[in-house]
Amino acid sequence: MVQAIAFWTLYSGNKNQEAAEINNRLTTAKTIFTELFDRRLEYLAAFAETAAKDYGLKEVFNDDTRSLLVALNNHRKRIDADLAMVISAEGIITGQLQRHFLDDSRSKIKQGSERNTTFRFLGWLESGQPAHLYIIDQDIYQLSLSPVTVGNKTLGWIAFGFQIDKRLATEFMNITNLTTDFIIKYEGQWRLIASSSDNIKLAQELALAENVVQGMIPEEYIATHSLITEFDEQEFGVVMYGLRANFVALLQEQWWRFLILAALTLFVSLTSAYLIAASISKPIKRLVAQAKVIASGDYQQTITIKDNNEIGQLADEFNQMQAAVLQREEAITHSSNHDPLTDLPNRNVLNQTLGNYIEQQQKFVLLHLNLSRLKDVNDTLGHDVGDEVIKAFARRLHALCSAANFKELVHLGADEFILLAEHIEVDDIVAQIQAELEPTFDYQGISLQLQVRMGIAISPEHSSDAKTLVQMADTALHHTRDTSKLVQVYQPELDVNTVERLNLINDLKQAIPAGELELHFQPKMCLKTRVVTHVEALVRWQHPNLGMIPPDNFIHIAEQTGQIKALTRWVFSTALAQFNSWKILGLDLNIAVNISAENLKEADFHQFICQSLTSANVPPEKVTLEVTESSVVEDPESAIKLLSEFKSHGIKISIDDYGTGYSSLAQLKQLPVHELKIDRSFVQRLEHDVDDQIIVRSTIELAHNMGLYVVAEGIEDEFSLNWLADHDCELAQGYFISRPKPAGELTTWLLEQQAKPVFAVNTKGNA
Amino acid sequence: MNNKNITLFLLLLSILLTSKAYSFDGCNNIAADQSCVKIMVNSKSGQALAGMVVYLKPLGGQQLTPSTKEIVIGQLGKSFMPYVSVSQANSKVSFVNQDDITHHIYSAGSDNKFSFKIRAGQTNASILFNHESEVAMGCNIHDWMSGYLLVVNTPYFGKTDQQGQISFTVEKQEKYNIVVWHPQMQSEMNRMSKEVSISENSAFTFTLKNKMSELPLQENEDDFDFLSDYE
Repeated sequence: MVQAIAFWTLYSGNKNQEAAEINNRLTTAKTIFTELFDRRLEYLAAFAETAAKDYGLKEVFNDDTRSLLVALNNHRKRIDADLAMVISAEGIITGQLQRHFLDDSRSKIKQGSERNTTFRFLGWLESGQPAHLYIIDQDIYQLSLSPVTVGNKTLGWIAFGFQIDKRLATEFMNITNLTTDFIIKYEGQWRLIASSSDNIKLAQELALAENVVQGMIPEEYIATHSLITEFDEQEFGVVMYGLRANFVALLQEQWWRFLILAALTLFVSLTSAYLIAASISKPIKRLVAQAKVIASGDYQQTITIKDNNEIGQLADEFNQMQAAVLQREEAITHSSNHDPLTDLPNRNVLNQTLGNYIEQQQKFVLLHLNLSRLKDVNDTLGHDVGDEVIKAFARRLHALCSAANFKELVHLGADEFILLAEHIEVDDIVAQIQAELEPTFDYQGISLQLQVRMGIAISPEHSSDAKTLVQMADTALHHTRDTSKLVQVYQPELDVNTVERLNLINDLKQAIPAGELELHFQPKMCLKTRVVTHVEALVRWQHPNLGMIPPDNFIHIAEQTGQIKALTRWVFSTALAQFNSWKILGLDLNIAVNISAENLKEADFHQFICQSLTSANVPPEKVTLEVTESSVVEDPESAIKLLSEFKSHGIKISIDDYGTGYSSLAQLKQLPVHELKIDRSFVQRLEHDVDDQIIVRSTIELAHNMGLYVVAEGIEDEFSLNWLADHDCELAQGYFISRPKPAGELTTWLLEQQAKPVFAVNTKGNA
Repeated sequence: MNNKNITLFLLLLSILLTSKAYSFDGCNNIAADQSCVKIMVNSKSGQALAGMVVYLKPLGGQQLTPSTKEIVIGQLGKSFMPYVSVSQANSKVSFVNQDDITHHIYSAGSDNKFSFKIRAGQTNASILFNHESEVAMGCNIHDWMSGYLLVVNTPYFGKTDQQGQISFTVEKQEKYNIVVWHPQMQSEMNRMSKEVSISENSAFTFTLKNKMSELPLQENEDDFDFLSDYE
């Protein structure tokens, strides 16, 4: 394949290479010509200069022409020059020796025709430029001149020349393998001086040379040329050319050689590839097959390749790898099924075991155990001790399992374990466990009592589904926390809120847009005037399936799921609308709305309240915001700041459920509130509980001392009403006065009350 | 221009500025039948030219006492010293090699061909220059050496001094051809001439028509030093 690409690349590059080769060839030829041509001139110049220094020549220069010509010819012979000349100080050619060829090998020196004529280029004599092209009749020479001097006096000049002729052309052809033509242009006409070609058709030869000079090289030729402008209007040129076919044939021959070589290499490499494949690919195929077996999870088969080479080593490594993979997989399986701390089976094993039991229709008891107070241990003694306690707990439970009636112990993580026991009396099981955990656990001098809480579910009584059973035990365990019991067996009543609760979260999102929410109002009566002056807005959810849901069941969900913002805003806006409705009827009531701690965290809550008041055109003092103590406790600083803003705006602030929270008096002092609302738990049994009376009385006194009004809720009898009135409580709210009612219902009731005040004692304006 | 030439030029310039007036103090002991002929040679730009050969050729066929001046042509520092000499035919000309090396002095291409080798410190006075001619000389060993000897047929010859002047005491009532010659003078036969009749003290100024060509440096262009180790 690689060879094929290389071959193709070479083949496609062949044409380019050919062009480059030709170009290179021509450039070289041209360089060789220039170099040789210049070298001849330099040679002539150096020789002429040397000859001009010859004293013998100088001696006879002016008076003995015959001796001078002999001396000159002697010099000429030394370099085999074709032309020798003597020019006098006056510029007259006093001697001229010219070689004439008789045939190819024989020649004769004769007197030149220009003797006793003035040298045609007197400018050359003074210019000092040594070398020129010189024409005599049809012949052209490379000529070099040198002055003959005595001191600085010039006696005349001598000159030597080489003819540019067929000999020179042939010499170039022998070097470059290109036919060489010398041409000259005079009066616009090119003339062929000499050619290395034996072509008899000189006109044809000249035409070709002319074309080359003009850049019109015929396709079948490769050619180059060089021009020298020397004489006035005369141009001397050399043209070198060759048949393209001849040159390409040479390249073609190289190409064929390469082809044969490539074919040979291909054959050799294919053969060796086959042999190598036979020795390597077979064992590798076996290894590949084995790898597939291992990938499928079968670690039992091993591979045997009895080679000492790398393949054999690879096979050994393969088997070792297989063993290592097996070992590691077992370790991974173990750790995925066991708790890292206690090495007890974990939830994965539990699900499997429960599945098995249920499949076999076994009866069993599932105990969800929770080690109490582990958090305290971690916090006070550190997690290392906590871990030791868990381990000790696990050991004790594990010890139980060796007893007959316990089947399986599972560590769910942290302080939670699950114990599966035989289906016997639950009390016996619990007693066994507690007995085992009875002794204190001693760790580095610290004695700890291991206390455990248990949630218990029984199969098949409670359920025959593994997941449900675990969940039931979990629910029972949770219940122990609420009831502070140590053991709780599952009862259906325990998990009322579980699934329903999840559904409520989803349904609540739809409640507002679906119009399922509705406001009820509970009146607050002024105890002095026995006139209803305030109402508290309470939200009700008319669930399409579950019916009326009390706020206790969904407010908490709304707070946790981020829906309290929308809920509170809906309540507030609806309450303002109701205020205006009542106002039209002449009912002037202050409306209280419950605000959640979450609302106090909203960045734009203040803005919303103020804007709503403005747009509904409700005076701020006609609105009371009821805030629980606990909502302020979380971030007192920003809560107090926000409440202060509301207060300064004129809105009434009330502390709801006062007495149930943990707020200190110091905090209460800081809160910018108008009234305290005493929790119903202190008010409901006021008639019979003297302690409550003390609490309520002192709370009222405290509030009054701090300049606050007091509202009492949970008034369910006349005694309470009157007792509170006697103790100067300002407002009262409770079933005894009225249950929370829908707006329409309450409107009727209020209008009736207005007409005949039932509780009227005296009339003294509102609270 | 090399330093030598610059110095010469400055010298000529200063002389030109200080003495412009003619004086005939070049002629001594002028008899009653004699006159002082003073010749001044200026370049084309009017500067005094020193070393110009001046001779007065009598035109009246008068017999003059031949000059007894001996001419010495030195070879010093591988150059002819002086570059230009002038002598009367048949008078003695001595070549004195003041260098520590052999010279091969020759002249060719004229009627006064000669050639001889002259060793360090030697003198050669064997060459007789017996007719008027311009003798160009060279050295076959030291190509760059160049010297001239103008052989004249009159005792009135000399070269201009640093002021470009020369004076001759001549017979009165005679005609002369005053010739000024120098190998670098750019004119026919490298000369200027003027025919004059002398009756009293006279002064003539020759101003060259063309700029003189450069004097040969007589210095080797290749600064070789390979001979210093040889005796």
